[in-house]
Amino acid sequence: MRLPRQPGRGWVVGVITIATALLLWYALTSLTGIINSYRFPSPPEFLAALRQIAVDGYAGGTLLRQTLQSLKIVIEGFLIASLVGVPLGFLMGWSPRVEALLNPVFLLIRPIPPLAWIPLAIVWLGLGDGAKIMVIWFAAFVPSVINTFTGVRQINPVLIEAARVHGATDWRVAKEVIAPGALPMIFTGLRLSLQASWTTLVAAELVGAFLGLGRVLSIAYRDIYPAMIAVAMVTIAIAGALMTQLLARIERMVIRWR
Amino acid sequence: MALTQDPRPTTRWAATPSSGELVCLSLGGAVIFFGSWQLIAMSGLVSQYVLPSPLTVLAQIYQLEAEPFAGFLLHQHLLSSLERFLLGFLLAAVLGIPLGLIMGRYRMLDEIVTPLFEAYRYVAPLAWVPFAALWFGTGIGGPVMVIFTGAFAPCVINAYRGAQFVERYLIEAAQTLGASNLRIMREVLLPGALPSIVAGLRVSAGLGWQSLIGAELIVVSSGLGYVMVQGQSNLAPDIVMSAMLVIGVIGLCIDVALREAERWLSRRWGRA
Amino acid sequence: MGTCVSRIRFDNVSKLFQRGNGTIAVLEDVSFEVEDQEFVTIVGPSGCGKTTLMRMVAGLETPTLGSVLVGDRPVRGPGPDRAVVFQQFALFPWKTVGENIAFGLKSKRVLRRKQVELVAHYLKLMKLEGTEDSYPHQLSGGMQQRVAIARSYAIEPEVLLMDEPFGALDAQTRTIMQEELIRITAANPRTVLFITHSVEEAVYLADRIVVLSRHPGQVREIIDVNATRERDGWSARAIEEVMETPSFTHLRAHVWKLLREQMGAANG
Repeated sequence: MRLPRQPGRGWVVGVITIATALLLWYALTSLTGIINSYRFPSPPEFLAALRQIAVDGYAGGTLLRQTLQSLKIVIEGFLIASLVGVPLGFLMGWSPRVEALLNPVFLLIRPIPPLAWIPLAIVWLGLGDGAKIMVIWFAAFVPSVINTFTGVRQINPVLIEAARVHGATDWRVAKEVIAPGALPMIFTGLRLSLQASWTTLVAAELVGAFLGLGRVLSIAYRDIYPAMIAVAMVTIAIAGALMTQLLARIERMVIRWR
Repeated sequence: MALTQDPRPTTRWAATPSSGELVCLSLGGAVIFFGSWQLIAMSGLVSQYVLPSPLTVLAQIYQLEAEPFAGFLLHQHLLSSLERFLLGFLLAAVLGIPLGLIMGRYRMLDEIVTPLFEAYRYVAPLAWVPFAALWFGTGIGGPVMVIFTGAFAPCVINAYRGAQFVERYLIEAAQTLGASNLRIMREVLLPGALPSIVAGLRVSAGLGWQSLIGAELIVVSSGLGYVMVQGQSNLAPDIVMSAMLVIGVIGLCIDVALREAERWLSRRWGRA
Repeated sequence: MGTCVSRIRFDNVSKLFQRGNGTIAVLEDVSFEVEDQEFVTIVGPSGCGKTTLMRMVAGLETPTLGSVLVGDRPVRGPGPDRAVVFQQFALFPWKTVGENIAFGLKSKRVLRRKQVELVAHYLKLMKLEGTEDSYPHQLSGGMQQRVAIARSYAIEPEVLLMDEPFGALDAQTRTIMQEELIRITAANPRTVLFITHSVEEAVYLADRIVVLSRHPGQVREIIDVNATRERDGWSARAIEEVMETPSFTHLRAHVWKLLREQMGAANG
């Protein structure tokens, strides 16, 4: 969270902390049995479950298959939401009229937590992919619109006036002044969208799905298989982290003037 | 928060419309939206069992309060949900804020806790549901734990950032006036970080409320989320949508309350 | 005991920093004493380490070499015996004026009733009556700095450390505050270490002036002002008058000459 002043030390402390935590985990579970393995898996049990799902599969597929399934849906939902949300937010930022027109709808949608769309999505679209994508769409849509909107609105009016004075048309102003200026906030919105998408997908799959990491969680719960629950959670965390990092990479490549 | 509450003047690229015009447009937008919805539902183009009309949804709210559904009246479900939310949220605040403050002040602790914190942060709150259910069964502990995991991170992060932003000379002034470390934490860091903390509480409340609903979709037998799930299994979208409406309204109220707290704070202490 | 309690002594104090692959000496081998209840100003170009010297007495920084002693005891961290008045005022924005002033009193476990008395006393002394329940942001810069001084005075410290306390004020307020400070320290004498950029301020306020050079920070000269002040009766006259007198002008010119030498050297 904070850049260490001496570049070495934060790293070292971090490694030590993680190592200590792992040791503690091992000690409390396998070694002494203080924590009942029914409540929390020990390292060997964790590894066994990992091996099982990676090689033989569990709840309908191998770890890879389940992860890819989840990722596929997240990316689909996220992309659709962004492709609609960012231009919409842009338009609303550009024109107060459009904003006024669409405001009521937003006021209605915004307070509803994305997860709350799950039951409705299931009623409308069943337990398949479609329902998940719909829920993710709602999760990702709102942050991208709002952040794009804010990104457009916070642009220094002087820059726009300067462009107009030089004879730029609306199109040019939008493309060459507003779009680049709003880009950082747009990416913030995308980052929030992606995180929301991922957490929402996990929840949606947990409630009802045929395949995916959330389904693994749900079946492992049903089977009372804590080690598998842990495997699923760790995979979810890692996948989420990787996606966020990837987005950050892309952001750095696109916004080169920062 | 409505988008038009943005206080900055609109930029002058599109001809600035009058506020009267904007109000009309907003009203118009609302009318178009709800009007079309009502018409489509009434026309029979789509089955009643798929898209209930707005009026049906509102009527259903009344109905849920008049007759028990899934075991309780609407207000009992609501209280159930609120109870869990408040417990989880308060727990997150009471544990998270001091942790964030201490991490902000003492770098050593920051370095120790951060890797664990980051690892926890990437786990979606709802992924904790199976363990919560395993550990707490069907009691209140399960949902409270899930809410806690959702609400905890923003509390810590915002307290941490707030503590870091407290000007160093304020801490030094307190030290030269003989204050103990505990006193500095309570009377300098906490108030200094308060604007950031309250902003964090807003985010935290939002995430906590959402985690609550998620948990209630799975591991409970009362509450607004439970109402939705029951409505779903009965294929009754009108019930689902009524519950969604109530959930949205409550969530909005919580957010507005916290936003007012933020405003009051900055007015009283004169800080941005 | 008695008179030695608030004497400050710098013993071969050096402050060194690692920068890149070299060492920078912010202060090098600084030694001098501030007598009990003496008002000493430290003046010098930016970066000469004057603030660092003060912070060492306050216990907010430690010397790399040498030692800093207050009352013949080495400084070990901040404490209410050495009060600090910061340039940025450092008033707690979330506490009222009264609560700010009482802050240090709480550390000293002064009884509530006595606290109220003391706060009222210092409000009166600093001409801040009526502001007790206001918040700092409602006051002007000058008034805020008065509150800061009141807060430091309220704990009755042995030593008063002031780090360019009037730097953030406009010229007129600044002049008034300088007169106020003379008045207060005359009524309640303390050992004062006063850091400033302003030559005039340094000359007007001081019993003695310590002029520092920089790169590295060292004592260039220590000038005695007290004799001149007593002889010409500065305290009986307005600042503008004092600053016209030949003796004041002479002192000021002398200090300026010392500073200019270094500016020339720095540019060379």
